Amino acid sequence: MSVTPATMAQAARRTDARAAIRAPADPFAMVRRGLVYLLLSIAAFVSVFPFLWMVIGTTNSSADIIRGKASLGGEFFNNAVTFFTQVDALRVFWNSAFIAVVATALTLLISSLAGYGFEMFRSRVRERVFALLLLLLSIPFAALMVPLFVMFSQARLVNTYTAVILPTVASIFIIFYFRQATKAFPTELRDAAKIDGLKEWQIFLFVYMPVMRSTYAAATIIVFMANWNNYLWPLIVLQTAENKTITLIVSALTSAYTPDYGMILFGTVLATLPTLIIFFLLQRRFVEGMLGAVK
Amino acid sequence: MADARLARREQITGWAFIAPALVLLGLFMLYPIVWSLWMSFQVGRGMNLSFGGFGNIQRLTQDVVFLRALGNTFTFFIIQVPIMIVLALLFAVALNDSTLRFRGLFRTAIFLPCVTSLIAYSTIFKSMFATDGIINQGLMAVNIIGAPIAWFSDPFWAKVVVILAITWRWTGYNMIFYLAALQNIDRSIYEAARIDGVPAWARFRYLTIPMLKPVILFTTVISTIGTLQLFDEVFNFTAGTGGPADSTLTLSLYIYNLTFKFMPSFGYSATVSWVIVILVAILSFLQFLIARDRRRPS
Amino acid sequence: MSSLKLTAVHKSYGSVEVIKGVDLEIKSKEFVVFVGPSGCGKSTLLRMIAGLETISAGDLEIGGTRMNDVDPSKRGIAMVFQSYALYPHMTVRDNMGFALRFAGVAKDQIAIQVQQAARILALEPLLDRLPKELSGGQRQRVAIGRAIVRNPQVFLFDEPLSNLDAELRVHMRIEIARKATMIYVTHDQVEAMTLADTIVVLRDGIIEQVGRPLDLYDDPANQFVAGFIGSPKMNFLAATIVEKTTSSVTLELTNHGRARLALPVSGGAVGEAVTLGVRAEHFGEPGAGEVDIALDIDVAEHLGSTSYVYANRGGEALTIEREESRNEIGMQTITVSIDPVRAYLFDARGQRIR
Repeated sequence: MSVTPATMAQAARRTDARAAIRAPADPFAMVRRGLVYLLLSIAAFVSVFPFLWMVIGTTNSSADIIRGKASLGGEFFNNAVTFFTQVDALRVFWNSAFIAVVATALTLLISSLAGYGFEMFRSRVRERVFALLLLLLSIPFAALMVPLFVMFSQARLVNTYTAVILPTVASIFIIFYFRQATKAFPTELRDAAKIDGLKEWQIFLFVYMPVMRSTYAAATIIVFMANWNNYLWPLIVLQTAENKTITLIVSALTSAYTPDYGMILFGTVLATLPTLIIFFLLQRRFVEGMLGAVK
Repeated sequence: MADARLARREQITGWAFIAPALVLLGLFMLYPIVWSLWMSFQVGRGMNLSFGGFGNIQRLTQDVVFLRALGNTFTFFIIQVPIMIVLALLFAVALNDSTLRFRGLFRTAIFLPCVTSLIAYSTIFKSMFATDGIINQGLMAVNIIGAPIAWFSDPFWAKVVVILAITWRWTGYNMIFYLAALQNIDRSIYEAARIDGVPAWARFRYLTIPMLKPVILFTTVISTIGTLQLFDEVFNFTAGTGGPADSTLTLSLYIYNLTFKFMPSFGYSATVSWVIVILVAILSFLQFLIARDRRRPS
Repeated sequence: MSSLKLTAVHKSYGSVEVIKGVDLEIKSKEFVVFVGPSGCGKSTLLRMIAGLETISAGDLEIGGTRMNDVDPSKRGIAMVFQSYALYPHMTVRDNMGFALRFAGVAKDQIAIQVQQAARILALEPLLDRLPKELSGGQRQRVAIGRAIVRNPQVFLFDEPLSNLDAELRVHMRIEIARKATMIYVTHDQVEAMTLADTIVVLRDGIIEQVGRPLDLYDDPANQFVAGFIGSPKMNFLAATIVEKTTSSVTLELTNHGRARLALPVSGGAVGEAVTLGVRAEHFGEPGAGEVDIALDIDVAEHLGSTSYVYANRGGEALTIEREESRNEIGMQTITVSIDPVRAYLFDARGQRIR
């Protein structure tokens, strides 16, 4: 490339502009910066406040909560006792945990297998099948629940864990997510593993899964939360109290004529804890995993 | 073919990987949806069904409750989805600035709501929006309102609470998608634009938005599906009634009531559920068209 | 026994044919380099030998056995990938022992073999590191180590992202090439010249020429190989045959005022448009050859031991190499001579006229 006066002037202008970008003195920029912090602070406050409210609520009586008391009270112990006498907490927690853990594990396995299969083994027929799946993605659950309910009644599976778990296991959304993420998986690794003598399922197990652990972490958060919080389908299919999930039980408490909010908020804290813990444990990987997926 | 065996094995392996998902999807998605289509042409109570032609569709057009549920669902969709998408974009762009302090903190805080269970947050909102509750007190304290609002017994305000609640819960979720997409954009593009003297709003309008278009489209479609199936929040706010006076009744809640609350009417509820399917299909297609059209004039 | 034989090998994706019939024999323990411009099919051919791409038609034999349908891991090959393809979640030690683990080799035996390979490649202090903690050159060595551990009969080396460092090259020659057949893919003809026993020049899915490095340099089969092998590129001058005897032809150089020279070749026909090829280093001092041509200098690069003069006449750009020359400094024109014995003649289709 030849160096002309024009390009030199351009380069000079560029350094000027760079300097201008870094210079903090511009009052407009300061105001704008301030507005950004204000906006984000409000958003963060609005986002977090209900959590504080929930935690504070567990220490207040129902009457105080309805009256909007936002300070710590002395009712925590009472609320806890009321909750544990009304709800078989251990049983309910076990139901939720079992369903969420098994459903999440199965969903991740089956959907990642499919995502890997669609991305690694391209064929015209499979591309068509994939396009069909994307069409099915837009089918709302409301359209499925009646036939599903009838199917499970006929199979005499109503009121079982199986009935709650099975329909959620093959998630098109998660298949799609894994296929997108698999595009970033270096095919050379698969080739290397083939030459190293691994069979396809071994490649999946010993190379793909460990390499893609951020993707799995992000998917774990999404799927676990969806299962733990799942409401409509368990509401339909779980009928006796001893099989219900914590979500259903807490919901039932709120529909009482005069709900005891202190006790209920105690229940919601319990119901929220597992997802919060999972989120904070996997948060770093979650962001990495999402980055991979949107590429 | 000289190597038919290797190629065939590759084919078989490919199908083996997706087979479990396909079997489950066929069983719990394709089959029910086809069955539901067939059922939507059946009339009768419980499982005593007989072919009713377009009877159910005729019933739809005269069903005031259905029309109200449809209207409510649309109201939620038209108002809530744009607000949420715009907010999520705004937060994402603000948080994408690497010179910003406390980024991680802000990001976590704004994402936090979507970690809560739907039931937890609807309970929290219900208690916060009680007539003597903290929200009314707060609003009165800063003189925005003079008297407490009866959030859940006023048809208008009941809708407002639903919209606020969904927006609170899902904005951070959408924001994460945008944030992820933004971080994959080459920063030097923005530097070049700054040097070329492109103002901030124009960088947002002509660089950020077009580059995020696929993600925006994706989240819009997902949000549309979510809003059209709105159930948990209204069910919990109103103890399953969709009140007051059906003002928060959504299509999903109506289907649930048709099937599990009133005398079961499987055929008719299947028809209503197909209304959602068709709406989602039309709206997704429209959004797709809009996203595509904007690409041309450049 | 690690000879290779490819017979009429084809590869197509749908209707697109990328390998259009390759016949090639590689002797045991030969160091073969596939070279060609990007998209010529050299990597595809390598991957077909590895078993990572299926062979659409034709036969592949390794050590006398047909291998078309044999699993990659059972072909007796090892491969070093372009980006090395180290398993990011495993230590260097585990990376190198991974294949043995799946071949059912006992744990202590794996440890011994990994240790051996690590010693050869000076990787011993790095054995417990993860790939991300290594430099580019170290990763390359691990990739080679992983291949050595398997004790392959045929060693495949896909175009590396960065050139091998000199030390590694020596290792490769001593440790690998002596024990196994080596197939190395590169687009860099200099690397090909330095490494190969035999070079295979590919273009558009066809082998253009196979031969020892200096044979390709001295006696290219066509204009493509002539232009591809050697640096700087061979110069091509437009010409027309004006006279012909049984053992020579006389050319007229189109862009040089009809300057004539005679070449000792027996092919060609009078009136045929041809191309004369002369390497940059074969232009002589004025008067030293059969004909002198004058050129306008565009730019001259002086590297000390060598100078390159970029010149043209009538739009035909030529590169001239000069040893320790200072003569062109400040000059506008240069006159050089062409020695017919060191010139090549190609017909309009690029084939050599001999």
